[in-house]
Amino acid sequence: MDTFEPVIVAFCCHYCAYTAADMAGSQRLTYPSNVKIIRVPCSSKVDALHIVKAFEMGADGVYVAGCLEGDCHFKNGNTRAARMVDYVQKYMDEIGIERERLEMVMMSAGMGYRFAQVATEITEKIRKLGPSSIHAAICRQHVDTCAVVVE
Amino acid sequence: MITAERKPLEELIEYVRPFKRILLLGCNECVTVCAAGGRKEVGLLASGLHMALLKSGSTIEIREHTLERQCDPEYVEELVPMIDGVDAIMSMACGCGVQELARRFKGKPVFPAVNTKFMGASERQGVWAERCQGCGDCLLGKTGGICPIARCAKQLMNGPCGGSTGGHCEIGDDVDCAWALIWERLKELGQEERFVEIMPAKDWRPGGGSGPRKIIREDLAE
Amino acid sequence: MQTIQSQHSNRVLVIGGGMGGIRTALDLAEAEKNVILVDKAYAIGGLMTQLDRTFPTNNCDLCTLSPNLSEGSRQEFIELLTMTTVKDVKGEKGDFTVLLETAPRYINLDKCTACGDCHKKFPECVRFTPGLDHRAPTCMRYPQATPQAFSIDLAKCTDVEALMKCCPAGAINPDDMGRKREVSCGSIVFSSGGALFDPSHLDYLGYATQPDVVTSLEYERILSASGPTMGQLVRPSNGKQPKKVAWIQCIGSRGLQKGAGQYCSSACCMFALKEAIVTKERFQDDIETTIFFMDMRTMGKDYELYYLRAKNDFGVRFVRSRPHSILREPGKENLSLTYSAEEGGRNLTEEFDMVVLSTGFRVADDVKELAGKLGLQLNTSSFPKTDGFNPVVTSVPGVYVAGVIESPKDIPETMVQASAAACMAGRDLGITEKIEYEIAPLPLETLLVGEEPRVGVFICDCGENIGGVIDVATLAEFAGTLPHVAVAELKGHGCSRESMQQIEDTIKTERLNRVVIGGCSPRTHEAKFQEVVRRAGLNKYLVEIANIRDQVTWVHANHPDEATEKAKDLLKMAVGSVVRSQPLADHSLPMNKNVLVVGGGITGMTTALQLAEQGVKVFLVEKSAGLGGFAAGLWRTLEGNDIQAFVKDLISRTESHDNIQVITRAIIVDHSGMPGMFKTGMQTGKQMFYRQIEHGVTILATGALPNRPRLYLLDECEAVSTQRELQNLIEESPETVSSWDNVVMIQCAGSRTPDNPNCSRICCQNAVKNALRIKEINPEARIFVLFRDMRTYGFQEEYYQKARELGVIFSRYSLDKPPVVAASGSMVDVTFTDPIIGRQITVTADCLCLSTGLIADEDGNDELARIFKLPRTGDGYFLEDHVKLRPVDLPVPGFFVAGTAHGPKTIRESVGQALAVASRALTMLARDSINLGAAAAKVNRDLCAACLICVRACPFGIPFINADGYSEIDPAKCHGCGMCASACPAKAIQLMQFEDDRIIAKLEELFERNIA
Repeated sequence: MDTFEPVIVAFCCHYCAYTAADMAGSQRLTYPSNVKIIRVPCSSKVDALHIVKAFEMGADGVYVAGCLEGDCHFKNGNTRAARMVDYVQKYMDEIGIERERLEMVMMSAGMGYRFAQVATEITEKIRKLGPSSIHAAICRQHVDTCAVVVE
Repeated sequence: MITAERKPLEELIEYVRPFKRILLLGCNECVTVCAAGGRKEVGLLASGLHMALLKSGSTIEIREHTLERQCDPEYVEELVPMIDGVDAIMSMACGCGVQELARRFKGKPVFPAVNTKFMGASERQGVWAERCQGCGDCLLGKTGGICPIARCAKQLMNGPCGGSTGGHCEIGDDVDCAWALIWERLKELGQEERFVEIMPAKDWRPGGGSGPRKIIREDLAE
Repeated sequence: MQTIQSQHSNRVLVIGGGMGGIRTALDLAEAEKNVILVDKAYAIGGLMTQLDRTFPTNNCDLCTLSPNLSEGSRQEFIELLTMTTVKDVKGEKGDFTVLLETAPRYINLDKCTACGDCHKKFPECVRFTPGLDHRAPTCMRYPQATPQAFSIDLAKCTDVEALMKCCPAGAINPDDMGRKREVSCGSIVFSSGGALFDPSHLDYLGYATQPDVVTSLEYERILSASGPTMGQLVRPSNGKQPKKVAWIQCIGSRGLQKGAGQYCSSACCMFALKEAIVTKERFQDDIETTIFFMDMRTMGKDYELYYLRAKNDFGVRFVRSRPHSILREPGKENLSLTYSAEEGGRNLTEEFDMVVLSTGFRVADDVKELAGKLGLQLNTSSFPKTDGFNPVVTSVPGVYVAGVIESPKDIPETMVQASAAACMAGRDLGITEKIEYEIAPLPLETLLVGEEPRVGVFICDCGENIGGVIDVATLAEFAGTLPHVAVAELKGHGCSRESMQQIEDTIKTERLNRVVIGGCSPRTHEAKFQEVVRRAGLNKYLVEIANIRDQVTWVHANHPDEATEKAKDLLKMAVGSVVRSQPLADHSLPMNKNVLVVGGGITGMTTALQLAEQGVKVFLVEKSAGLGGFAAGLWRTLEGNDIQAFVKDLISRTESHDNIQVITRAIIVDHSGMPGMFKTGMQTGKQMFYRQIEHGVTILATGALPNRPRLYLLDECEAVSTQRELQNLIEESPETVSSWDNVVMIQCAGSRTPDNPNCSRICCQNAVKNALRIKEINPEARIFVLFRDMRTYGFQEEYYQKARELGVIFSRYSLDKPPVVAASGSMVDVTFTDPIIGRQITVTADCLCLSTGLIADEDGNDELARIFKLPRTGDGYFLEDHVKLRPVDLPVPGFFVAGTAHGPKTIRESVGQALAVASRALTMLARDSINLGAAAAKVNRDLCAACLICVRACPFGIPFINADGYSEIDPAKCHGCGMCASACPAKAIQLMQFEDDRIIAKLEELFERNIA
């Protein structure tokens, strides 16, 4: 299991988190390449469906990154997104996926270092958790195409 | 509208486990409005079922579809072309929709995915509260527009009871005492005298006490 | 050095590229006027770009500022000259000739891609580091700098050859000579900003010797995420987190120290509050924050609430005292701060880990020199003298000032003056015929109906930036294997002119109908590539960018294999998404060029006249029977200017202007439409006839009301009056004033109380003004001013000082111990406790004058807010779109606010805002139509269940259930967040450009799984 590299999807709002990710680049901060960013205009654009589908397709971790509280470009999108994330976490309990695999984070556009830090911490956390049970199950079914080693 | 809530996933998994292909059916009426069984919930449930089954090593094919209204035969007829390809139907509509499906497709197992809860109104975004129990003999005209049958825990016809404190019902601080509300409303209307009128005992027969109910409009019925 | 001459006086020269200069340039450019923006620094942005967060929202600046900046560099009407200084100015209004000198950057801006290779290899000779150390060379001072380019310090470079070679773009040019250039312009806006007071020479503060004594700007850099410590708050001396931080106010202001200005620097109190709050926010109980101050001057809009929050919610400690010294005893790590307590006057010593000096503004020497070249008369503090009623007008016609160079101020006031100066400077150019630009007509957009996607993937190497980490050739080869990809090519620097032309050609020759760029962030480059595909005949929304630089090679430089895999993933995702993209139309509206101004006071009239003189038809609507407003009843300003004459002149000019239609006795009753095509209905005249006006822009200048609280025997005792009544008495019957022995004034009567928590801003200066007038008439009169904080900001401080010199007694009281007032015959007894002598004093006054301030017109504003759907502050004033950067723009597009309808302010400040809204309105009116972009939510009515969830979810209240029973979202009003789309339980709403199928496609490509 030491070769396990999780795939993590980060939904980032255009105005803050995505800008912070670019900022991390400008400052040449490094973070694990496991994190793949999908840009959305506002974290509230992220639908519970997008998150659930990501896990269904085999994501090991997902996080939604929005602006700092009170700073949302669209007034309250980030707090709505946070509530949505809470709701999906409860659903994950039901499905049997650890809720730690989903997270809501907030940062400002200037926080390149925080973006890198969050990406690193979440990747580390997911690495420790191992592949998601869904990812593992997919791999059992498609042993030929799957990179994850399953015991 | 009729309100509903998705059943626990665990229960739903047991329903569908024996099957290879199911049709997961939403309804674009009440259950969409109360966010229990519209297109979005169908998508979420399909993914959830997929994943939960996948964990236990089995797979299932889920066809997602949402009807305009599941409790009308004409809309249900739309499903005919897709019904042969599936082993069972799981409906996210209220009990009426589920039964309509069972009536139409006699050979297919039909399962409810939601618990139908009550007839209610939306208090605000994401909050629905019970307002009507379909008692068949509406007395809102006498109670200031607030229903003691649906909103009083004891369904008292002459309230409030001793459990009413500070406008709340003794069953919980988040439950308004219907009779306190009635009193406030009657005061607003200047109809305090209504409050002291003794209402007779409720006749429960129109509310289903004499068996399943039916409405027939002779001019429309064929 | 070469000299170029440029003959074109139909433009404005803006000196200084800080936030103010940028705003001026943008306003003018958006109004289609030509601008030359010069700044001596390497990148524009000024002081604000060095701030961590700004008060009172505690927002991070970069997210709000950077779009402004890149907007600046994009505008075709702006010529931006960095590293440029003004050497000489000749001529007069309408025809200035200015000599500019540009220092060599040694970098060709057209070629530099800001890749940073030169900085990496030769850090000592490339200016880049944003830092705490103000001595460090800085160029790209913050990561979103404009221009996006570095600068070379050739003097520090030993091997020029090697430096040149390291640049993959070949942008380094050691032969850059700099150049001199003579330009003509019609008017000049001088917005050079302020310098900060340097406290090094004040040895008792220890700034020069103690690393833990820092200025407020340095503290800001320490807090800043892009600062030298990456946002870690640490003590410069030992790198440890401080536990106790003190701020000392008024360093270099209010004439306190050697070399300090006589004025108040106006912004430092809020600055210190913000720093203290941000510090508390981060560390809570782990840190103590103390502010040492004289008067807490939070007189801006809602600033008092911010002060209260600092005190009550964040536990910031306030000590009213001016510390005596900061010392570090030998062998000790901490700083000892000695100060005397206000009550009791004992000397106290307290230890702190860090001390922040709130340094004020001053005029830099080179700026003073430049003011001389412009011929500007200066005041005693070396700031340019300005008109008594118009803050941006200087002693030289055609030269305007804005921002801190006018007087010390904070960001929103700078933004107001910047727009005001744009208005005045633009007017000097006269009304110009609309220039028809020779733009090659764009080809018709190809229709895509029934066409299979043919995707072209173009991959940049961005020099070493991408190419140095991953093998771009392999990447292109990989992209070629993806479904629907017809062409996959390498493009070097994709954003260079050459490459963009090649991409355009390839789209045409290969009949591509979708494009993916593998390059840098869509945030900075999407617009560029949208233009390319549009020029090639495709709809501009058929391009998607895979961010393989900022989010791949720059962050995974040490792991090329992983970077390559991630780049492949991002390309797959972009291709999967772009094949599902559809042509979208930008939403646009025709512009109605008339303006509705509501309110006929000084503000409304000034705005109307400015617009009318620039050729705009204005409807000026006033609810009372005549023009003039509140100020018509005032006499003189603090500086002694005649208000009555000013108002009379405004009224006669307004009433006689052909472009202004004045409608009095008008009550607005309804409103509909959208920006650019509003309809407003009103009842007018004595008969209340209904009429409707069509207009493109709405300006609110409805003013405020004088407060009249039932306090201190007002309206009960004849000897008690308000400042306004006192002023009338002074002007109308000075003999009464001559007979007085004692006058008492009570400040904050009805302001800064739990009922009306904000400061009325104007009362302190009114009290000083009337006190000085009384002293003029009756030098023997004893005047007591009972205050809580004297808020004579800016140059008003000098009058406060003069009043004290003339013997006016200022005595402080606190909210919990207000003065006690009792009638005593025709006189009034005022009893108060003076904190310094610690004794109770009773004065029998001939006149008790209350400083009652202003309050919002609660009923009037409520009605207008309801009709126009505008938000208001807690105390009833209209709430602007962005309290920092867009102070006169309302959140509803097409609406602007000016004057006291925005918050209490002086006449000069109201005139400034009146000019600013005129400028903001002109930026809208210059356009014939308004482009609203394409990212709007769209409802599929066949799926909609009319559930109202979108109606309730939308933060802007745009969706509604229409007469057909479906949700309808006006694309012209939609802000494009997508909240409704994600909330919709029927999946009936899609946000264009971010449709669900495109997001799901990205996931499918990433996981190579199709689960639909």
